[in-house]
Amino acid sequence: MSIHENNNDMGITEAELTSLTADMVDAHHETYPKMRESISQWTELESASIRRAVSRRGFLATASAMIAGGVALATAGPAAASTRGALARVTPDSTAGVPLDVVVAGLAASLENLAVTTYGAALSAAGAGKLGTVPAAIGTFAKTAMSQHADHAAAWNSIIKQVGYKPITAGNPVYAKVVDADFAKVTNIAGVAELALTLEGIAAATYLEAIKALSTPSAIGIAASIQPVEMQHVAILNFVLGKYPVPDAFASLAGAAPVSSASGLAFAKS
Amino acid sequence: MDYDEQGLGELIEQSEDIQSDAMRASREQFGEIVELGQEARAHGDIDHDQSLAFAEQRSRLMRQSLVGVGAAAGLGAAILALSESAAFAGSPTDIQILQTAASIENIAVATYGVALTLPFIGGASANGVVKAFVTTTRKQHIEHAAAFNSAIKTLGGKPQTKPDPVLLQVVDKAKPTLTSAAKVVALAITLETGAAETYVKDAAALKSVDAKNLTASIMGVEAQHVSILLAVQALLAGGAAADIALPPPLAALPAAAGSVGFPNAFYSTTAARPATEGAIS
Repeated sequence: MSIHENNNDMGITEAELTSLTADMVDAHHETYPKMRESISQWTELESASIRRAVSRRGFLATASAMIAGGVALATAGPAAASTRGALARVTPDSTAGVPLDVVVAGLAASLENLAVTTYGAALSAAGAGKLGTVPAAIGTFAKTAMSQHADHAAAWNSIIKQVGYKPITAGNPVYAKVVDADFAKVTNIAGVAELALTLEGIAAATYLEAIKALSTPSAIGIAASIQPVEMQHVAILNFVLGKYPVPDAFASLAGAAPVSSASGLAFAKS
Repeated sequence: MDYDEQGLGELIEQSEDIQSDAMRASREQFGEIVELGQEARAHGDIDHDQSLAFAEQRSRLMRQSLVGVGAAAGLGAAILALSESAAFAGSPTDIQILQTAASIENIAVATYGVALTLPFIGGASANGVVKAFVTTTRKQHIEHAAAFNSAIKTLGGKPQTKPDPVLLQVVDKAKPTLTSAAKVVALAITLETGAAETYVKDAAALKSVDAKNLTASIMGVEAQHVSILLAVQALLAGGAAADIALPPPLAALPAAAGSVGFPNAFYSTTAARPATEGAIS
């Protein structure tokens, strides 16, 4: 079953809603100049600021702990061992010598890439009839969210390239392995929505952590401009799944991807 | 669930285990403020122009605050000494930003309170989902205001209990026109958008780590409020109020309903309120 066009008989028409969203699309395009301006400021990375030992306790503490994770979990008994996952088996660190802001940008890009491929796979599966009946609104959600995640990845890669590194074009390998395995088990649209909700939650929490970890003002600004959008994706997915859409008064750091999960990314000077 | 969540669950659980000290941003307290100051001092990360510009006001605010709360002499003197060091150069601006944030929350709380007195929002004729949303959102704004004021007090400032003066005018002007749910939703979108965009801007501008983390933890929630309000607005505009339900009738919704709640890939700051608009003069 493919994603179908819904010729509904309700009061609101496709044209009306499309018209309502047209202004918003224009507004979306208006955000790009500001984003480019922020990106152009990324050359601050070359300044001394990036080499300062500013407070980035969350990511750094996490990174240290994750790198030592295998040992720590192995000595902590069965309960802790049960939490041992892919992160304890990170690949040799590719982030050595790479400025932390670049590592965080790469981590963000890799999560965005993973979101793009996951939504893409979901749309392909829907098109192949593997997910049952797919409501038209869900198809639009997936296409729009995928497009926005691609924009996010492009923004991070623009700044990565500006400071002389090659773009991160692959999905995060640590999370991709698990997401791919889970996606293979999805049989309907509710399962896709649950998986997307988890991914969006990880992205939102990671950006919240990134705002703490980043030192370059323009990079903080970019993370701050993306985190609310991921939170909006979460709200709509909650609603779609019949859950209260805004359950918490404060966004949580729970589930944020640790910086060590960037250690398998291909950081290389261009 | 149609897939085994174990794998992702492990990733999240492990992340949470390791980040057990990374509590919700709003709960981190004075220690990191001191740390920020120490680090800034150690690395020469001081904006001396800003320091000079705000030094007088900072001292006044801090003295007023400490006297006002009757701080114990020893602790009060220590905090005051810290505040007057270069390490706290950014604190007064942060206080102003946070006071504006609190004022935005206060006007939101008041406005949702008024909305709940209207029969089509809080009364018998109201849509149940809309009523629940307005009730819950008002409570969340109360929590936000309390959190911002707590941060203000931690930084030595005076809590802001009044509404943003400019937004208050907007609300006062709109009140007589609130004759339908759609008009209430439109006003709420204005307030929520202003809040979210202000905090996005603030998250990059604030110098205090605590203030930055707190603001960042709230901005996305306001954006979520906007998202749901935009979806509700679209359905109301299309005469589809009956489809505002939890869960929604997905099959009945038009395709465009899937994206109306998140129109931009990057959150704008064009509607951000001026940083000192709600500050206490």
